Amino acid sequence: MSPEPQDKAAPQALLRVVRLEKRFGGFSALDGVSFHVQPGEILGLVGPNGSGKTTCINVITGLHKPDGGALLYQGRAIGGMASHRLVHLGINRTFQVPKPFLTLTVRENVEVAAAYGRRGSEAFDMQALLASLELDRDADRPAAELNSVQQKMLDLARALATKPKLLCVDELAAGLNPAELDRVAERLRELARAGMALLVVEHLMGFIDHVTDRVIVLNAGKEIFEGELAAAIEDRQVVEVFLGSEHGA
Amino acid sequence: MPRWLRHTLLTVVPVIAAAALLPLGYSNQLLLFNFVVFLTLAQGVNVIYGFTGYLPFGYVGFFGAGAYGFSLCVLHLHMAPLAALGVGAAAAILLGLLLTPLLRLSGAYFAIANLAASLAVYQVVSNPNLENITKGPYGISLSGVFNPTLAYSVAVLILAATLGLAVYLRNSRFGLSLQAIREDAISASMAGIDVVRSRTLAWLLSALVAGLSGGVFAWYVSVFYPETVFSPEFSIFAIVFALFGGVATVTGPILGVIILYGIYNAIGISTPQYFQLLYGLLIMGLVLFLPNGLVSLFKRWGIDVP
Amino acid sequence: MLEYSLLAGLVFGLYFCLVGLGLNLVFGVMRIVNLAHGDFLMLGAFGAFWLFNLSGLNPVWSVFIMLAVFTALGLPLYYLLVPRLQRAKDPEMLSIILFFGLSQVIEALATIVFGPSERSIPGRVFGSGPVSLLGQSLPAAWIASAIASGVAVLFIYLYLYRTRLGYLTRAVMVHREEALATGIDVDRVSAIAFGIGIALAAIAGVFAPFMLGSVTPAMGPDINIQSFAVIVVGSLGNPLGTILGGIVYGISLAFMQSYFSSWANLLPYVLLIFILLVRPSGLLGRQVRSA
Repeated sequence: MSPEPQDKAAPQALLRVVRLEKRFGGFSALDGVSFHVQPGEILGLVGPNGSGKTTCINVITGLHKPDGGALLYQGRAIGGMASHRLVHLGINRTFQVPKPFLTLTVRENVEVAAAYGRRGSEAFDMQALLASLELDRDADRPAAELNSVQQKMLDLARALATKPKLLCVDELAAGLNPAELDRVAERLRELARAGMALLVVEHLMGFIDHVTDRVIVLNAGKEIFEGELAAAIEDRQVVEVFLGSEHGA
Repeated sequence: MPRWLRHTLLTVVPVIAAAALLPLGYSNQLLLFNFVVFLTLAQGVNVIYGFTGYLPFGYVGFFGAGAYGFSLCVLHLHMAPLAALGVGAAAAILLGLLLTPLLRLSGAYFAIANLAASLAVYQVVSNPNLENITKGPYGISLSGVFNPTLAYSVAVLILAATLGLAVYLRNSRFGLSLQAIREDAISASMAGIDVVRSRTLAWLLSALVAGLSGGVFAWYVSVFYPETVFSPEFSIFAIVFALFGGVATVTGPILGVIILYGIYNAIGISTPQYFQLLYGLLIMGLVLFLPNGLVSLFKRWGIDVP
Repeated sequence: MLEYSLLAGLVFGLYFCLVGLGLNLVFGVMRIVNLAHGDFLMLGAFGAFWLFNLSGLNPVWSVFIMLAVFTALGLPLYYLLVPRLQRAKDPEMLSIILFFGLSQVIEALATIVFGPSERSIPGRVFGSGPVSLLGQSLPAAWIASAIASGVAVLFIYLYLYRTRLGYLTRAVMVHREEALATGIDVDRVSAIAFGIGIALAAIAGVFAPFMLGSVTPAMGPDINIQSFAVIVVGSLGNPLGTILGGIVYGISLAFMQSYFSSWANLLPYVLLIFILLVRPSGLLGRQVRSA
């Protein structure tokens, strides 16, 4: 038996994932995952393909209903809640393959998220948000005309326009050149410094090392390691999972 | 000038002025009435297809529900036409509510299921077993409330309200949220949009438009058969007109109706098969070469079309 | 009456399987909805009618002529319409409108050429008098239609599972993009499937005068709905599911006509909606819901 996950979680955790389970038919995509994220923290979620990273984000953001375990956000159970309500509570995400509203302009894409995704009436600076992601010059072009990196940035802008407290970032770095990677990493750290909690799924270990404070290593729907990336690569079980079982027992 | 006002001045005002003034100098009021009905239906299709992305292949079901809701109240309850029109609209909305589960289906599945639903409603209404209630296949005669002049005026008011709705959707956050749903429902929910609620609302608004049209149609013609008000041609015409002009705009469906329904009246009544041929070829050419309709040409030239 | 309904339902079910098969093959391979399917069936029926009237040709032979003519017609038609359609943003939805346009063109041309009146072929071409089967007597033309349908289904099965082209066709059905990536000539495979699909409709049309009553240029849309009911019940995109769909539809229709005849017309619509909502993947099959 593993120790109670609540014991590990800091009291101020924004999101607590407790023995989360998700099955597709006979396949257990998540098999009792537990971890937590705190405000202002960037938590990396790593693991081989099929280990459940994206499924985990999909369950947290309401795309899939969990089959077991609990999701506690600000102490409140949110498992199975509809996506738009989670957005209103302050949870948002980007998609591995961005799905912008193709016929709408860049500005309209962000405008609709700002209009529907935010609660409260504090001012929203569209121009600053677009400028910070270098989308300002294309603000009046349809999203369909953007290149794939710009579409990723637009997806991030759509998420940020809803003022999330918890942002799940699914493979944002793939396809970016080194200069873009640096800018995105800096941008994510800025968001964390402003108090946002980030959950970052990524294959590029350099990027993970660059932005995260702590990582969770998933394998076959379970977490097998929690701590700093530097320690993770020393961990026997983690090495085994990433390099194959001949290195292990 | 705010954009919505400019759009209203450019579209709603001239169309309504024409619809209101033309009967004074032009004697074929039935033709004008049919134009008004199709202008309304094409915008109704625009709401659910153009803005929200659901192809309502059985749109006529709401039209027929409105026509029968209206007629049965006049026949059995001796209601005044305007009150009966309200019941007709309510009947269409009720049918819309009954069919909301269809919105879970995507793309072609929705279109086919909606078509089947409209045919099922027709089969029920026209069934001889229900003769006592619906007059079955023998049709409706409402000579007691026959008043084409008043019915025409009411139809113009319904058109004005419908065009107003289209201008609202073209210029409002709600309209933007519907388009977001059309583009990608999952991203829309991550923009905070209650996808189920919004698409249901669009669906019911679209049903309301057709229900009111059907009711006023029944009032205007006063004598009709179930196959008249459940004719799949209403759905098809409204969809093709809207698509031809260009959906998700106010102007597109108006242009589509004026051009295509104009051609229909020029050649379609005397030689329907030649109109059908032309119309079939136009539809095919449209899908293959101009899938966003005529107004996309203006957009290509950088003109903001209302 | 019960035995008769079952048997007649089975016979009609086999026929409806043939009616829906081509539509399902086209949807399965191309993900497009051929709303002109019923009109190709109508053309097959008129073809058989004219061949019978002009040269006394038995409809059984018309089957082979229709197969050749419509497969040959399907190939250029495919290249004319489908590749361009596939480049659009939402080909599945637009296909409904495109093929609706085609159906209008076919219907209009048929009205211009054949005239709007009803046509039929006498059932005695298949021998005089009914055939006795399992103690029930059924019209010989029904039996002939059912046998022809069974043979057509068997050939489609052999084509898909026993030939190289059929193997490629199934590959395209399972994953079009991957098939493209592996260098399969997707257009060629699809064009042939399209030709076979409309030829199957035309062959079903040959038997329409016996199974569906008289034939008119305007019969297409009604056939489409019945075909959709059949393939949705079976499973959209899975041609062999059509067999199950056809038989379920045929037997339900026979029972409705025996026991609730005045409401029998409702059956295809109600069945279609019910299956789409309750089990949208059909009795055998894949997911179609978006949310």
